[in-house]
Amino acid sequence: MTKKISFLFYLLSHPIAGYYELRHRNEGSVFLALIMVALFSLSFSLNRIYASFIVNNLDPRSVDSVRELAAVFLLFVLLCVGNWSITCLMEGEGRMKDIFTAVGYALTPMVLLTLPATLVSRFIGAYEEVFYYVLLAFAVVWTLILLMIGIMTIHNYTFGKTLVTLGLTFISMIIIIFLAALLVDLINQLYGFIYSIYMELLFRG
Amino acid sequence: MKKLRKFFAVGFAVLIVYLSTFPVYAGETLPYITYNYDFRNNIVYTPAAYVPEKSISGVNMGEGVGVFNNPQGLFVDESGLVYVADTGNNRIVVLNSQMSQALEIIDTFENNGAADTFSGPYGVCVSANNELYIADTGNFRVVVLTNEPGKAHEFVRVIENPQSDLLGENFSFAPLRITVDYADRVYCVVRGMFQGLMVFEGNDFTGFFGTIEVTVSAWQKFWRFFSTKEQRANQILFIPTEFTGVDMDDEGFVYASHLSPNANGQQAVRRLNPKGEDVIKKGVNNHVGGDLQLGEGFSDFSGPSNFIDIAVRDKGIYSLLDSKRGRVFTYDYEGNILYIFGGLGTQAGTFRVPSAIDTYGDKIYVLDAYRGEVQIFKETNYGNLINEAVSLRFDGDETLAVEKWRQVLKYDENFELANTGIGKSYLTAGENELAMNFLQLGMNRDYYSIAFKRFRNEILENNLSIVFTVGLALIIAFAAHSIIKRWRKPTDDEGGVWGD
Repeated sequence: MTKKISFLFYLLSHPIAGYYELRHRNEGSVFLALIMVALFSLSFSLNRIYASFIVNNLDPRSVDSVRELAAVFLLFVLLCVGNWSITCLMEGEGRMKDIFTAVGYALTPMVLLTLPATLVSRFIGAYEEVFYYVLLAFAVVWTLILLMIGIMTIHNYTFGKTLVTLGLTFISMIIIIFLAALLVDLINQLYGFIYSIYMELLFRG
Repeated sequence: MKKLRKFFAVGFAVLIVYLSTFPVYAGETLPYITYNYDFRNNIVYTPAAYVPEKSISGVNMGEGVGVFNNPQGLFVDESGLVYVADTGNNRIVVLNSQMSQALEIIDTFENNGAADTFSGPYGVCVSANNELYIADTGNFRVVVLTNEPGKAHEFVRVIENPQSDLLGENFSFAPLRITVDYADRVYCVVRGMFQGLMVFEGNDFTGFFGTIEVTVSAWQKFWRFFSTKEQRANQILFIPTEFTGVDMDDEGFVYASHLSPNANGQQAVRRLNPKGEDVIKKGVNNHVGGDLQLGEGFSDFSGPSNFIDIAVRDKGIYSLLDSKRGRVFTYDYEGNILYIFGGLGTQAGTFRVPSAIDTYGDKIYVLDAYRGEVQIFKETNYGNLINEAVSLRFDGDETLAVEKWRQVLKYDENFELANTGIGKSYLTAGENELAMNFLQLGMNRDYYSIAFKRFRNEILENNLSIVFTVGLALIIAFAAHSIIKRWRKPTDDEGGVWGD
């Protein structure tokens, strides 16, 4: 496990080589990726609750970290499944496991920098918000670069193809959400139908 | 079992005695809720700033007054006399300052030797030069009468039939509400007039004042671009809104309430400088349009507040009357909501169709057109403290205001203005840490930042030597560590691919 964790930090600074190793030498760990997602959700919630009111318009009472954890995991799974379903058809070499790991590892900069940014926000006044926002922007950009390189490397794509795949991934995510909503609605209707038959029988019997 | 029953009986009796010793607060018997909005636009319930004192109808006013019929205008002059425009009865009724008796009923006046009457007078106003201005709506004119106490009202002049290229062919001048400045310029809210207030100098129309610009969002333009001619005809028109009420402060600035030009109700009152530009301040919520939470759906009680009249009070405070939900909103000169009270209903202290508002001293008068009554509200200790604190702050006496704000906090510890006020005074006194606490409770970013930066500098100045010493020691230690490390193990663990 220590080796996996130190590999994670190696990957942060050497994304291209790191993601290659992750795909071809089994250096990644899905479990660690899931932990990173959970940590990301946690730091996100902490940021929303504890960031100074100078930069935070939210009412801390309105933040529900458990709900945010569920939402982040749902989005994560949706992104991975969407990407997998597209790359499967587009000669991507990455397995489901690789996609999970790549996306999870890419969130590490957010985990590492959101908490320090939150801390910084408590030591700034008006017109000094830039220190906070630069940290956050740096984290987001780093994560996006990692995500980009990760998807590119594990599927052995060119840069242009990666961009196209990511666009298609978002479309597939929307389709998945649509189908899921449809399914839930159909099940509800079926349930309602069976329930009304049951009630009818109950009243007549 | 018997023992148990006895136990309960005794317990119940004790409970009743205990409960009956609690005092009953006036707040529990108010016919309306009183609240305010916080920094995040949440509703915060507050103690009542004003409570209903009594309700007055024409029948209580002595002989010959009778019932008010659809009264629309209310004005309180400097001596406290109350002028009611009794629109449906075509007369102006003047009440004494206790509102116990009608002093006079003005229904006729002598106009060039002939007796003349009013027709549906809608608004009334007394100028600084003590002349009585009456918006004689049904006769399409403004009548000016003398207003000497104890003497008969004599005809001075009449403003009618304004002539200008700006006015259309079929324009009919139906003045609704009026206010007059120190130079006898008349500012008129006119029925169906979207171009602004009409200003008269002498008897001549000189121009429009405070025109409300129409704002069309890019989204609306987008949809308009794609709609057909028939669809466009059915869409809402992009015309400016009408003014509904007008009043004037001591500095000669005109305050005018109007209907909200858009659905969020962000602004429904203007403070117009002599050039007719809007110079109102919108406070921490960036909102001077009444309710911030507008209710859902399309019922009669949802949507932005519908201000029908405005009363300018001392020290930049002004109160607005909302006819949609029957509430009175009071703002300070910075546009922060001070308190909200009132509601629709049939009890004393509520309104059916509120039509006009004015204030005198610690009282607020609201005229109800449907019930033909004047509701009188009296300020509570809480309201008085807020009014006084805001007045002191307006005059620049922040330190004197602090005592008042502290007492306000005893009634309502969530009141952000009070916390900010106290915080500011600590800031002036140099108590930066205390100032930070209060300013954060008051959710005031700018002043909090000032306090915080001063506090931070204070700490840095006191501890700079320690910081430098520790920092220097750390740097030396780190340098020594790396030198020793290199000296001991001169290997190459740099570079290379992971795991090789």
